[in-house]
Amino acid sequence: MSGVLVIIEQVDGGVAALSRELLGKGKELAAVLGGALSAVVIGANVAALAQQAAGLGATTVYTVEDASLAAYTTDGYVAAARAAVDTAQPALILAGASFQMRDFGAALAADLDAGLAVDVTDLRTEGGALSAMRPSHGGNVLNTYSFAAGRPVVALARKQSFAPAQEGGAGSVQSLPMPATTIRTEVQSVAPKSGAVNLSDAAIIVSGGRGLGDKESYYRLIPPLAEALGGAYGASRAIVDAGWVPYEHQVGQTGKTVSPKLYVACGISGAIQHLAGMRSSRNIVAINRDAEAPIFRSANFGVVGDVKELLPLLTEELKARLGR
Amino acid sequence: MHIVVCMKQVPRDNSVKINPDLSINADGIEKIINLFDEYAVEEGLAWNEQHGGKLTILSMGGDEWVEQMRRALAMGATDALLLRDPAFASLDTLAAAKVVAAAIRKLGDVDLIFTGRNSTDDESGAFAPALARTLGWPQLTYVGKVLSVDPAAKTIIAERHLEAVMETVRAPLPAVVSVIKDINSPRYPSLLKIKKVARVEPPVWSAADLGVGELASAATVAARVPPPARTKGELIDGPDAAAKVKKLVDRLLESQII
Repeated sequence: MSGVLVIIEQVDGGVAALSRELLGKGKELAAVLGGALSAVVIGANVAALAQQAAGLGATTVYTVEDASLAAYTTDGYVAAARAAVDTAQPALILAGASFQMRDFGAALAADLDAGLAVDVTDLRTEGGALSAMRPSHGGNVLNTYSFAAGRPVVALARKQSFAPAQEGGAGSVQSLPMPATTIRTEVQSVAPKSGAVNLSDAAIIVSGGRGLGDKESYYRLIPPLAEALGGAYGASRAIVDAGWVPYEHQVGQTGKTVSPKLYVACGISGAIQHLAGMRSSRNIVAINRDAEAPIFRSANFGVVGDVKELLPLLTEELKARLGR
Repeated sequence: MHIVVCMKQVPRDNSVKINPDLSINADGIEKIINLFDEYAVEEGLAWNEQHGGKLTILSMGGDEWVEQMRRALAMGATDALLLRDPAFASLDTLAAAKVVAAAIRKLGDVDLIFTGRNSTDDESGAFAPALARTLGWPQLTYVGKVLSVDPAAKTIIAERHLEAVMETVRAPLPAVVSVIKDINSPRYPSLLKIKKVARVEPPVWSAADLGVGELASAATVAARVPPPARTKGELIDGPDAAAKVKKLVDRLLESQII
């Protein structure tokens, strides 16, 4: 058992940004822990993707290709990953922390009797031993996990935790047969979510809360500001529960956890449940009437004032300055 | 049919402290049913009402957890079962799933397990998949709508609501299902029912009862710290709203944030 295996995910037919980050970190860890960096590409038609991954630092890129892998199923993907795991015998398996990868990664870890860390933001080595950092309790606790010797580790990492791998590697591609397996679930349809807002992927998020006063003000002020910034729009739990905005937009402990480049909190007081979902944003702007609102303690830039007066001005100013 | 809901008790908010032994200190914070598990209880109740049989609330924890189990009984669950043993105290999620799997096997006749998509304290979402794999059952995670449960055909059809897509998936029973918020509207137990179950003591199964031997966690907490404090922010001030807005945009552009 040695080396690192990265589970490659694809976005629009290319290697996902997160997978590139995992390849970058995987290379570094393999050099310290010993063994090679390998990767596995799973799906129904993955040749091009495997070629691309082979140029990103992995010594070997395994492919497990089968018609049954066209749609994700736990049984199918875990069986396919096992083919690569059994061949490479990695000490560490890296994948992303999306919902689908949690479904997959926890199942794989259970099958392998492995150590598991989810939402990993850093991986370190000390004296040849691996440790994984992950937040819990809405970001109020940062945990460092260590792992039992002799068992593999599955780590599911958050986006933008590691520097991406550089192009220019020349790994080999090796095809592995899909192991005989019974896929018990039947995927009857896969459809884009109607009105889906992929807040998790947005670089800029503008969120509104109770301070906006009513639903009409939310829609009059928040989406246009988000548009002027080229971002997505979110909401606090209070106004989702009040029925102003669909749950899809909720940021916080019981909604989405986001870490955009810029998070603009408008009329949001900063309840601990909300902070849990956005405190890891790189930059936070808070706009609130109450100068004592807790949100200001998390903000890089704070503006005290009435959102109904400030937001239309801000939208116009941004449109003029950014030329949107 | 026999439905089990796996339920965890959590602090109402996450303003927790860290004990010197690295355990979590949630003293003084009200304990509630994990929010996502409350939706799991409601979903279990809905299908129990349709198909009859038993609905068992299963929790692993200390005696103080019984309070929330009683709440679920007051909501309409027919049975409760507490897994309690000092050996269960600091298990990782995968080891905890092994314990719960042993209890499910001991119950013997379970058709369907509902649980929340994750707990709001640990937040990993690993429990449902780990439980399913340990039992050798199929799993449907992040379910936002259960379309059908057919005890005769032994199937469940449900919608999985992922970040950007929605899948409709059919699985054979028995199966493990984790649910998201808003799959339903959890009912409030009536005061009368709360009174009725106030003295119910759920049966308790220990490690010995379950025949689980060595439960070595593969992942252990080596360090736990509060997050680093953010550097103090900048208050954007000005004579009027327009001046403040202009200054804010200036600062965002200067800092290359936009």
